[in-house]
Amino acid sequence: MVTVDRSKGHRAFRWVNAVILTGVVIVTLYPFVNIVARSFSDEFAIRSGQVSIFPRGFTISTYQYVISDATFWTNYRNTVVYTVVATAISMVLTTCYAYVLSKRHLRGRRLLIGIAVFTMFFSGGLIPNYVLVTSLGLKDSIWAIVLPNAISVFNLLVMKTFFEGLPVELEEAAAIDGLSTYGILLRIVLPLSKAVLATMVLFYAVSFWNSWFTAFLYMSQNDLFPVTVFLRNLIAGATSGSSVGADAADLTVATNIKSVTMVLTVLPILAVYPFVQRYFVSGVMLGAVKG
Amino acid sequence: MIEMNRRQALVAIGAFAALAACGSGDDKKKSDDFSANRDGAMPDYGPGKQFKAAAPLTFTMLYNNHPFYPIKNDWLFWSELTKRTGVTIQPNVVPLSDYEEKRSLIIGAGDAPMIIPKTYPAQETAFVASGAILPVSDYIDLMPNFKDRVAKWNLQPDLDTLRQEDGRFYLLPGLHQDFWVDYSLAVRKDVLDKLGLQIPGTWDELRTVMKALKEEYPDSYPLSDRWGQLETGANLFNIIGTSYGAPGGWGYGDGTKWDATAGKFAFTGAMEGYKQMLQYLHTLAEEKLLDPESFTQSDEQAIQKLVSGKSFMISSNAQTLVNEYRPPLSKANPKAELVKIPVPIGPLGPIKYGNGNTRLENGVMISKKARDSKNFVAMMQFIDWLWYSDEGQLFAKWGVEGVTYTKDASGRFKLTDDVDFVGLNPKAPKHLQKDFGFSNGVFAYGGSTEILQSTFSEEEIAFQKVMNARNPVQVPPPHPLSDEEREQATLWQAPLKDHVAQNSLKFVLGKRDFGEWDAYVAELDGKNMSAYVNLVNGAYERYKKAHG
Repeated sequence: MVTVDRSKGHRAFRWVNAVILTGVVIVTLYPFVNIVARSFSDEFAIRSGQVSIFPRGFTISTYQYVISDATFWTNYRNTVVYTVVATAISMVLTTCYAYVLSKRHLRGRRLLIGIAVFTMFFSGGLIPNYVLVTSLGLKDSIWAIVLPNAISVFNLLVMKTFFEGLPVELEEAAAIDGLSTYGILLRIVLPLSKAVLATMVLFYAVSFWNSWFTAFLYMSQNDLFPVTVFLRNLIAGATSGSSVGADAADLTVATNIKSVTMVLTVLPILAVYPFVQRYFVSGVMLGAVKG
Repeated sequence: MIEMNRRQALVAIGAFAALAACGSGDDKKKSDDFSANRDGAMPDYGPGKQFKAAAPLTFTMLYNNHPFYPIKNDWLFWSELTKRTGVTIQPNVVPLSDYEEKRSLIIGAGDAPMIIPKTYPAQETAFVASGAILPVSDYIDLMPNFKDRVAKWNLQPDLDTLRQEDGRFYLLPGLHQDFWVDYSLAVRKDVLDKLGLQIPGTWDELRTVMKALKEEYPDSYPLSDRWGQLETGANLFNIIGTSYGAPGGWGYGDGTKWDATAGKFAFTGAMEGYKQMLQYLHTLAEEKLLDPESFTQSDEQAIQKLVSGKSFMISSNAQTLVNEYRPPLSKANPKAELVKIPVPIGPLGPIKYGNGNTRLENGVMISKKARDSKNFVAMMQFIDWLWYSDEGQLFAKWGVEGVTYTKDASGRFKLTDDVDFVGLNPKAPKHLQKDFGFSNGVFAYGGSTEILQSTFSEEEIAFQKVMNARNPVQVPPPHPLSDEEREQATLWQAPLKDHVAQNSLKFVLGKRDFGEWDAYVAELDGKNMSAYVNLVNGAYERYKKAHG
């Protein structure tokens, strides 16, 4: 590569850019670092406001305490199970739907797209959904979480666009060589779509990992909740105005316990990112450029 | 993924509830015919009697899951309850963080369990129109302990505040024997002693003490308060305002205050007493006795100032004193002595008060459909025993004698050595709430002064003694709004409350002069203050005419 002559303006831009982006990084990273620091600090240091970037009064006893909580682990396991099952179901359904929609010669294609897009703008509402799921007998089962939101229309459209970008000749050649429709999808199209598949897995997995509302709606037993509900109760429950103002006998949960729970909850999904990262950018871009 | 936010969800629920209301025909059943509902009930149930179902029964119940003591199925509470009463509770577990939302949803969807506890007075009104909630006032005769307490403790006026337009009430509230004042100010007694100052008994004395503190420590603010981020002037506006006859902050409620002398409701934020309260606080702020950040800083910041000796007073209840202030304070300064002082006295003299000036607590709603259950009578007896009998409350709070607590000859309760609760037995391996399920906010609240104070420390009992000796404030009369009125009132309340809160701060911090008070009241009127107060007074008059 030949070094390109850089104008003064360009260099200045790069500097300004670097400074601003560093600022953004610090601003976004600081709260997280602070939480991690708190999770390793003792309660007194947090209360007296000494903890910022580094832990004060270093202790791992909070971790030991949270880890020894059986409910936390039950809910944690639920989150893992829900996320894995839901992502698997979503991927299968979204891939099939998107592949079908990518075929321009399909009759009724616009109607099928219309049906999907319709749900982006209109929904039945909270109570009708609740009544539906309840009368289907899904309440208090994993299906209440993994089925109702199995297809995300946004992901579906990204994937459809990606499939449309694959050369038609490739599939024609495969067909002439004797592959069935399913064979084409499984042995030709999917292996070529690793980037978009990885991206979709990440999208789905993160959103299922973080979601709490569906579980909150349809689960009525403590050992069925995902860890996000556990965490939300810990944070929002203990700091809500009504519990402080009205009910003095209610005790608050220590801040370092909250921090530890947050760190433990975020950790796995954070650990997945670096591995999917390389697919990530190309995956989204491939789907996006072709409109 | 579609995630509805809270407001959308509530609007949707409201709309649905309204629809449901239109559809529900009035299938009136005679409320005193229980011939088909007596299965499992005790024919001779009464006060002082242990409830025991004739056959094993199961009742569904909404359960508010507290993060500090998450529900466990192997709690002694559940097994012992079944042993004593023959009743098994089937809980529908809801996280405390979003309890109200799920409660609305589940009632709106017609999927509510029979027993719906942890409902605060006035929260039940939203469900009255839907017809999904039982008017419990029609069935009080099935609850001898409840009736007994209302009569014995003279709670009828308090109960009347719950009545709806039809003259009935839909919530079984928790009942207190006496007013329970918990919030006051915590004061550094060691510093006062050092300067030869007495604990202030009135608000004026408090100001004198603060001045002396400021003279000695010019860099400090004697009072730097907390909870301002939850509600403007949360505790200060409430306790000072109450002594001036016009509580703000946490005591603001629906914004109206019963004026006993005039015989009608007035708008709190425009009352003379409210103005005087603000003027008092303004004086404190002007003389730099009150930290101007008191109303905006986080709780942590306020506690830091107290711990580091930059302030000497802070709002407190019995729990925060022991759990949040003393541990860090004694670490930072072993000689520090922080005490919760009896609420200083204002122009109204020594008074005691409760939430909305009643002795009611959060309580239980019952699903309308439970009325058709063949176990309805047994269920009402069960609720009566568990929530309203001395034995039931003792059980819910302290557990099982010999296992979780012992009682000595003088009748004092003591936890067994291996059980801890509110720091009474800090080294014990087990916890009364976490490991046994007792003293659970869902089941244990209210009751006699004896049972309430049985878990209090010596100093807290002394505080309560002082407060209990004061005079109660008159309970406001019932003034139930009709559905349309309530809708209208809700639209007016929010902007009024915002305006009161914002301007209260401006007046206190000197950003607005008290010469503009009349202008401020006129602004309130521009936000429909008079219309709102007239609405409330109209409802009061109408109710008085219809129901005496």
